[in-house]
Amino acid sequence: MRRTAAVWAGKATGALSRLSGRGGGTTLPGDVARAIDPTVLRKLTGDLTEGSIVITGTNGKTTTARLLTSIFEGMGKRVVSNRAGANLIFGATAAALRSAGPDGRLRADWGVFEIDEASLPRAVEEIQPRIAIVLNLFRDQLDRYGELEKIAKTIEAALESIPEGAQAVLNADDPRVGEIGLALARTPLWFGIEDPEVAMRKLPHAADARTCPKCGASLRFSAVYLGHEGVYECPNGDFARPAPGVAATHIVLDGFDSVAMNIGETRLELPVGGLYNAYNALAAFAAGMVLGVDGQYMAERMHGFKAAFGRQEKMDFRGRHLVLVLSKNPAGFNETLRTAVDMAGATHFILGLNDRKADGTDVSWIWDVDFEQLAGKAEVVVPAGTRAHDLAVRLKYAGVEARPPQTEPGRALDDLISVTPEGATAHT
Amino acid sequence: MTKKKNRFTVGWLYPDLMNIYGDRGNILTLLKRAEWRGLDARAIDLGRGAAHGMEDVDIFFFGGGQDREQALVYDDLIEIKQEPLEAAVAHGSVVLAVCGGYQLLGHYYQTAEGERFPGIGLIDVRTEAGKKRFIGDVVVDATIEGIDPSTLVGFENHSGRTFLGAGARPLGRVRLGSGNNGSDGTEGCVQGGVVGTYLHGSLLPKNPHLADYLIRRALSRRGMAELVPLDDSIELAAHAKILQRAQPRAGER
Repeated sequence: MRRTAAVWAGKATGALSRLSGRGGGTTLPGDVARAIDPTVLRKLTGDLTEGSIVITGTNGKTTTARLLTSIFEGMGKRVVSNRAGANLIFGATAAALRSAGPDGRLRADWGVFEIDEASLPRAVEEIQPRIAIVLNLFRDQLDRYGELEKIAKTIEAALESIPEGAQAVLNADDPRVGEIGLALARTPLWFGIEDPEVAMRKLPHAADARTCPKCGASLRFSAVYLGHEGVYECPNGDFARPAPGVAATHIVLDGFDSVAMNIGETRLELPVGGLYNAYNALAAFAAGMVLGVDGQYMAERMHGFKAAFGRQEKMDFRGRHLVLVLSKNPAGFNETLRTAVDMAGATHFILGLNDRKADGTDVSWIWDVDFEQLAGKAEVVVPAGTRAHDLAVRLKYAGVEARPPQTEPGRALDDLISVTPEGATAHT
Repeated sequence: MTKKKNRFTVGWLYPDLMNIYGDRGNILTLLKRAEWRGLDARAIDLGRGAAHGMEDVDIFFFGGGQDREQALVYDDLIEIKQEPLEAAVAHGSVVLAVCGGYQLLGHYYQTAEGERFPGIGLIDVRTEAGKKRFIGDVVVDATIEGIDPSTLVGFENHSGRTFLGAGARPLGRVRLGSGNNGSDGTEGCVQGGVVGTYLHGSLLPKNPHLADYLIRRALSRRGMAELVPLDDSIELAAHAKILQRAQPRAGER
């Protein structure tokens, strides 16, 4: 009875907040329903005929969730999934509410939830997932969470508490995730990249988590794929990257257009670019393998994949081709710049930096992004966003000539368009 | 000018372990601003085990780290760095220490359980663990002379409460934010050529006048006191944007 009331109140709140144009009802209904019945999420996800997958990590949660959702939907399953970014427990609750019927029952087969790192223990306890995926741990939004160490401990405790028979699927290439997984009582399924062709030799400035958890020595990397993700070992032999059970090889990157790879016998091609998406595909594929989903089928679904809104989007605007890419931290930003400059040959940019609550109010991290790689290659750069002025300073010290900072997104776009020839591609 | 005289050296203490919150921006700012004055600027990495060349350093930078990394540099700081660092400072080298680095240069850091970790005592400050984390924008009215504008801006994120002894004076007084300890209105410290602060942001890019203050001070020991003025309009525009955050908006208060 209480549950039905909670579901109804939550749904009503969702409708109201959508009508009032505030926030699209992504999390507020969850707040209301949980206030009436704190166990509402546990009860609703208990109705799922197949079960749930929770996905955490700094980068790639939304895309990985979308990939898995697409795989399940292609099999005719009904999937409940939280909206991009609504990854606190309230967001997951709101998602379950949207799919609940008037009797307060959830009518769906799968739950695919992206969960923010700090909320994972609660999510695992309430959702009782069949699979828990940890993608990576980058320095990100430290002002919200305190420090990485604490987050790692939180995730470790959550993974220890996943139900009997559930499977942790972890990124072997991330030393901090490796450390978490090696400490677990049950062996996780490791995924990773095995392709020296796409590796860098040196850690970029944005890298962190580089010391051995046992002896404190700086880790030695024989390959660096992205940020601090790569093939690492402790020089004293106390710690090393676990061998991935699911590995991507023969990777082919084509700018923002695609990334292709082999996973075992399967050739996979994703119509979104960047090495980070190779990791997302690998994580989703590994989870599918745990569930016994056919590899070839997953490859077909991923081939028709459309990127999550704003993560990577292409559009035409006043005769120019625009590519929109979202990055939230140094590792993601560096990879995006590398993709844009080296592979897509981009020369015209709007670089946006916001510090609204959801973005993290500390913008210090831009000093760890290697904007230097734009110097001499970018022809036009427009710093934009609420912290456009900080970006302008960063670009000056990177030796990149920039247009005046624009805090209004519309003006930034006008400025870029005014100096971008028709038919050219601009990156924002 | 001899080659050596034209050289400007920044010594980066533990760049791999004590570089959280983008403090690297301070290094880039010092190097560029020296380069723009025609100096041959370089940074040397002073990681664990390294002490070579510390006597030639004009400005040391010591950033913040996470607890685990801070524990890892601790022994090295006391065993390998303390002596040459003290000697360099005695000869006029300048130090900028932020957050964790600031704490480690003081007398001690006391944990919530009352355990004391001695620092190297280069500055007369002590730090105690606090419960609530101070997080947010900071605007400071600087008390050091000869900097224009007289404000400093940054972003703080710390739970340590630092208190100054008689030997150190505050870097400034907080107009916005919590500063050293959230209770006495001070932020940072200055003691001779050592500046400690909680300000990230990075600090120096949006406070070019403080960067120049440090550079000028470091060069003065070599008889090079004058710095050619630079066009800082981009930096000061970003500075001004943060100053606005200290203004109460209409309808508030």
